[in-house]
Amino acid sequence: MREISYMEALREALQQAMEKDERVFLIGEDIGVYGGAFGVSAGLLEEFGPNRIIDTPISEAGIAGACVGAAVTGMRPVGEIMFSDFVVLAMSQIVMQGAKMRFMFGGKAQLPFVIRLPGGSGTGAAAQHSESLENWFVHVPGLKVVMPSSPYDAKGLLLAAIEENNPVMFFEHKLLYKTKGYVPEEMYTIPIGKSKVVREGKDLSVIATSVMVPRSIEAAKILSEEGIELEIIDPRTLKPLDEEPIIESVIKTGKALVVHEAVKTGGFGGEISAVIMESSAFAYLDAPVRRLAGLDMPIPYNRTLEYHAVPQVENIVEEARKLVKGVY
Amino acid sequence: MPKEIIMPIFGFTQEESEILEWLHAEGDNVEKGDPITVVSTDKISMEVEAPETGILSGIRYQVGDIVPVTKIIAYILQPGEKLPENKRNLKKSKESEKVEEKTRKSATPIAKKLIEEKSLDIDALSGTGENGKITKADVENFLSRKKVLPGKIKATPAARRIGIEENIDLSEINGSGPEGRIQADDLKQKRLSSTRAIPGGDVPVIKTIPLIGMRRTIAQNMQRSMQEAPHMTLQIDIPMDALENMRKEMNVEQERKSEKVSLTAFITKAVALSLKRNLILNSQYSKKEIRILGEIHIGIATAIDDGLIVPVVHDADRKDIRQISREIIDLAERARNAKLKPEDLSNGTFTISNLGMYGIDRFSAIINPPQSAILAVGKMNRYFVPTDNNLPTIQKIITFNLSADHRVMDGTQAAKFLSDLKNIISEPKILLK
Repeated sequence: MREISYMEALREALQQAMEKDERVFLIGEDIGVYGGAFGVSAGLLEEFGPNRIIDTPISEAGIAGACVGAAVTGMRPVGEIMFSDFVVLAMSQIVMQGAKMRFMFGGKAQLPFVIRLPGGSGTGAAAQHSESLENWFVHVPGLKVVMPSSPYDAKGLLLAAIEENNPVMFFEHKLLYKTKGYVPEEMYTIPIGKSKVVREGKDLSVIATSVMVPRSIEAAKILSEEGIELEIIDPRTLKPLDEEPIIESVIKTGKALVVHEAVKTGGFGGEISAVIMESSAFAYLDAPVRRLAGLDMPIPYNRTLEYHAVPQVENIVEEARKLVKGVY
Repeated sequence: MPKEIIMPIFGFTQEESEILEWLHAEGDNVEKGDPITVVSTDKISMEVEAPETGILSGIRYQVGDIVPVTKIIAYILQPGEKLPENKRNLKKSKESEKVEEKTRKSATPIAKKLIEEKSLDIDALSGTGENGKITKADVENFLSRKKVLPGKIKATPAARRIGIEENIDLSEINGSGPEGRIQADDLKQKRLSSTRAIPGGDVPVIKTIPLIGMRRTIAQNMQRSMQEAPHMTLQIDIPMDALENMRKEMNVEQERKSEKVSLTAFITKAVALSLKRNLILNSQYSKKEIRILGEIHIGIATAIDDGLIVPVVHDADRKDIRQISREIIDLAERARNAKLKPEDLSNGTFTISNLGMYGIDRFSAIINPPQSAILAVGKMNRYFVPTDNNLPTIQKIITFNLSADHRVMDGTQAAKFLSDLKNIISEPKILLK
């Protein structure tokens, strides 16, 4: 079985999508000659030429606006926001236009565009280059939000996002780019809106996103030696959320921990927590649903502080252990 | 150095002792190991010894005072030494200083501010932070805990669901979760324990029999016997044909039933005669000695409505078989009518228990203290028994089962008794003498 990195998986998805469908093109800052800030689009300019790999000035609003306009006129653009933090500059185009156009035109317009957003901390890039902003878009009707945690999911979900006729916010994690895993060579899609039980266990349901999935798996290995078995669920798509596997898992374990990197207050953990509370899993809860998330602060530049600002493996271990042992 | 005398701990669960007596007065010279005071727990009284040679001083408690264990009750001083009056206080203040220092250290600044604002008692809070440091979360947790309304039950949704499904009253459950919250596991435990309790616990009681009078005496005697006397049991099958033939012949002439000699009478006489040859079975065990008794009084266990009594045939070895038979009939009748006198029940030296009439083939009985042995008599059965020529003959056989106190005798002595009994019953003419 072939193992490639998360970054290579994304590149392969883009390359295969562009090969298959002429309407697909890439647009972003430094994605052509430079190959992308993290190298995702390296080599694609040579293969597809400057008409389909479009380097832009530093103008996120321009990238997003071009995506919306091209999509509504029949193209299938994939825009890249170099650091997801910069998406604030593109909000008007994405939220005001892209997300609402189909609705406002009574379904006559289609908006098949993808915005790729490398996010997350852990690279020492400080407060303006390390945020996790996915939940902003979860809150906007008309957008789909995808957040793959493995190379396999990255390729399958990106291909699905490009085939999708609605805007998709595609959150990648900078720390995941170099992680490797099994990825088939052929084109395949993973349906948007399908979660995945990454690991089965009986003691605690851990619902984790993005880089917190591999961290939770590490934590599960440590806890397994203590006889604590975590069940890990990766929603993969934050919106629309595949609720059923989460509910089923909580009914089984009676306890739930949500782990994400974004700050806790107003974060996606609150949404997951509420979904559990409102569901039939409520009557099976044997402890409060807990959220383990980033501290309510900008990501610090200091590497030690940066490390402690977001959940690490040891934090997941400790929090899960407390939940299972009935400390909460 | 003044030596402290502390209230000792005698048992794991003991928390305090009472001073019963001071064996020395203040100022007495005592030697190491001398008993100084007598103290009592709820069970025993014990002497407290001097831990060192010296002068008994500084007695802190008087007779009748209840003192927690490990407290200092007095001191042993050497000549010229002074009582360490201030030492304790000094130590205490140092300790409390330390505690204060500790608590000051062990709250985060924001937690400390909160504690001050809400004027909470810092000692009532427990910290979950590093090194037990009290965090802001701990204070908030403490405050939320205080808000719990009386009459409300803390339980997880899962526990509440199980409670409803299985009709378990949550107010009867002790929660093992944080702040006593009831969790699903607590109900599972309850379920388990109630399943276990089925024989007795949740089954309705339709009648209670108070443990008084005869029931209590039987319970105490039988328990004592089984706990104290190591029972050995020996069995022997005795052919009864010779005795039964003789008995029938005797009874042919007797028209009135009461004049007919019973099998029990013959067995009683046979036992008495065998006892006479084996007096070790006619004995009492005491802690210091075994008393061989000079008279043979055979008790016969008799069931009555609400229990069991043992009327006694006195001097059974010396009485005529017809007299024994009459006595047994008389005793049995008076037992049924509750007309037995104390002397009818006293001084038994050996007991026979016969369940043959209930169809019991053989059984073992519990020795009736302070006796040393009891003979359990089964039903008379007919068996095919091969002759010397291997031809089948029919024999009437009773199994006799002897329980004997192994503290008093050994197996061979018990065996000899049974073997003599067999010989007597097999050659029953001796019973008519």
